[in-house]
Amino acid sequence: MTVPENLHEPSLAVHVEDLTVSYHGKPVLWDIDVDIPPGVMAAVVGPNGAGKSTLIKTILGLVKPTAGHITLHGAPYSSQRKRVGYVPQRSSVDWDFPTTALDIVTMGLYGRLGWFRRPGRAERERALWALGEVRMADLADRQISQLSGGQQQRVFLARALVQEADVYFLDEPMAGVDATTERTIVALLHKLRDAGKTVIVVHHDLQTVQDYFDWMIILNIRVLAQGPVGEINTIGNLHKAYGSQIALLDRVQQAAEPREPVAESAQ
Amino acid sequence: MSGLLAFLGDHTIQNVVIGATLLGIVSGVLGSFAVLRQQSLLGDTLAHAALPGICLGFIIAGARQIESILAGAFVTAVLAALVMLALTRNSRLKTDAGLGIALSIFFAIGVVLLTYIQGTGNASQGGLDAFLFGQAAAILRSDLVIMGGITLLSLALVAGFWKEFKLVTFDPVFAATQGLPVALLETLLTVIVAFAVVIGLQMVGVVLMAAMVIAPAVAARQWSRRLEQMVVLAAVFGVVSGLVGALISATGRGLSTGPLVILAATVLVIVSILFAPQRGVIWEEIKRGRDRRELGDNQVLTTLQGLARHHDDPAYPVEQGMLDTYHGLATRRALTRLARRGLVHPVRHMPDEGPHWELTPAGHAAARQVLVDIDAGGR
Repeated sequence: MTVPENLHEPSLAVHVEDLTVSYHGKPVLWDIDVDIPPGVMAAVVGPNGAGKSTLIKTILGLVKPTAGHITLHGAPYSSQRKRVGYVPQRSSVDWDFPTTALDIVTMGLYGRLGWFRRPGRAERERALWALGEVRMADLADRQISQLSGGQQQRVFLARALVQEADVYFLDEPMAGVDATTERTIVALLHKLRDAGKTVIVVHHDLQTVQDYFDWMIILNIRVLAQGPVGEINTIGNLHKAYGSQIALLDRVQQAAEPREPVAESAQ
Repeated sequence: MSGLLAFLGDHTIQNVVIGATLLGIVSGVLGSFAVLRQQSLLGDTLAHAALPGICLGFIIAGARQIESILAGAFVTAVLAALVMLALTRNSRLKTDAGLGIALSIFFAIGVVLLTYIQGTGNASQGGLDAFLFGQAAAILRSDLVIMGGITLLSLALVAGFWKEFKLVTFDPVFAATQGLPVALLETLLTVIVAFAVVIGLQMVGVVLMAAMVIAPAVAARQWSRRLEQMVVLAAVFGVVSGLVGALISATGRGLSTGPLVILAATVLVIVSILFAPQRGVIWEEIKRGRDRRELGDNQVLTTLQGLARHHDDPAYPVEQGMLDTYHGLATRRALTRLARRGLVHPVRHMPDEGPHWELTPAGHAAARQVLVDIDAGGR
């Protein structure tokens, strides 16, 4: 395969090199390198304030890095926009906005519609298809303020689906949703991955990492470990990120790695 | 009838009607975006910041010349918006603090300039006071042409950038990932609020203009399911309150227009907050009462089922006093409602005991369904 010479690390879905991000002079991410191969479902985990959301926002050009560079499939985000889908945190918007679920999903197509063009029948059908994928077809005309948290999250996921991207970024999609929604989301993300897409998820629940994901990035200002989840999801690695909170993780890790000595988790 | 015709034929009245209509449309449409972006107070800052511009326009033109006054008002209003944006983006000040600072500084300068002009004894300065609280009767036909032009421009911008404005208002972060120039669009939305302010200066005045941006939009939100509806309805509410206030003012004894317009808009807000379906206070209260009753009914139903199961008798008659004790409150009304739905029926057990109730087969089915629903949890 010939590779255009202006591409940088084109074999990686996401390539982050020497990235530092700071707010008000305080580093939020410090000199990190992240490489994610295409076709994996990756969990980004780490304690509160570890910079998980910041990493995604920086990759998507929403936060300006202090130093470093990022490429997606070999090129910067600004030229790869159409290949990227994004699901922000549900709490980042005011759900009392007067509109329907279908309308929100259609918003995922505004970027490619371009200026002055109104969404028409094709966009509507595309949005209805995406709502069907998240099992919300019957709620297409429901006011978004009347949706449950899980339903709102699925609307956001459908909005990213219509983007037909190659790389999807999801910021805590499983936070505070019901079991039905979590199952729907995970099944859908697996489907995307199996279709060759790359799915990157900020995830808070260490208990489910092993089951849901095949790639893992442990973050706490720095990248503490990254790679296939089977190699990375060890108590030693998690201890580096979570420190004294590790006691809470004992039970989890015993389930995952029964042979790991418990002494490791002593306070 | 002829009185009404004469009234509508009056030149001043015509001007007032047209002016109020224009103001209502623009402030309703743009106010909808400002309210949804949680920038309701932006209108307040822009309106107050228009005062120094009004005075500068007057000083430069040397007379009460509408073009230079409105241009001055627009310039200082936009300047205040930019000061606010610069303050919030380059320091740790939050938006409310930025708005407050910009408002007070610009309004203070405006008041200084206004008192300076009044001190010079310029013969035509009398008209400037009207910009504080509005004076509909002072509007001239030539003013309306300018106001109409600004209205058309604002509406054209909103129509042209409709989906972009909608997305930036709902989810600016996602808009940015779609490649939309979010900062530019937000600045544009801010600038066209300044248009609304400029149009409202003569009708409502700088002090109360904010309410004209907020009130019609808030009232319209109560009745709307879509942004399109909200914007149109806000325009209608804006026109209605503008007309009511302006006409009372124009026919009354020199009452300031602004306060009357705002009072009319306030009535619409109160009615909307109380009576709107789905979102109104009264509707919600009714719904809450209904939910509470339904919950109580379901509790009684499952208690009956539990007792029937405990006694291993589907038709076990439960004494009402026992249910009252178990639930800690009178269950007679709940039982009556359940009986009406055919889920329980009263039975006579022993002549010396109180009323008894037993579940019907439909009641058993309903109780099972309640438990299934509880298990499934709120989706």
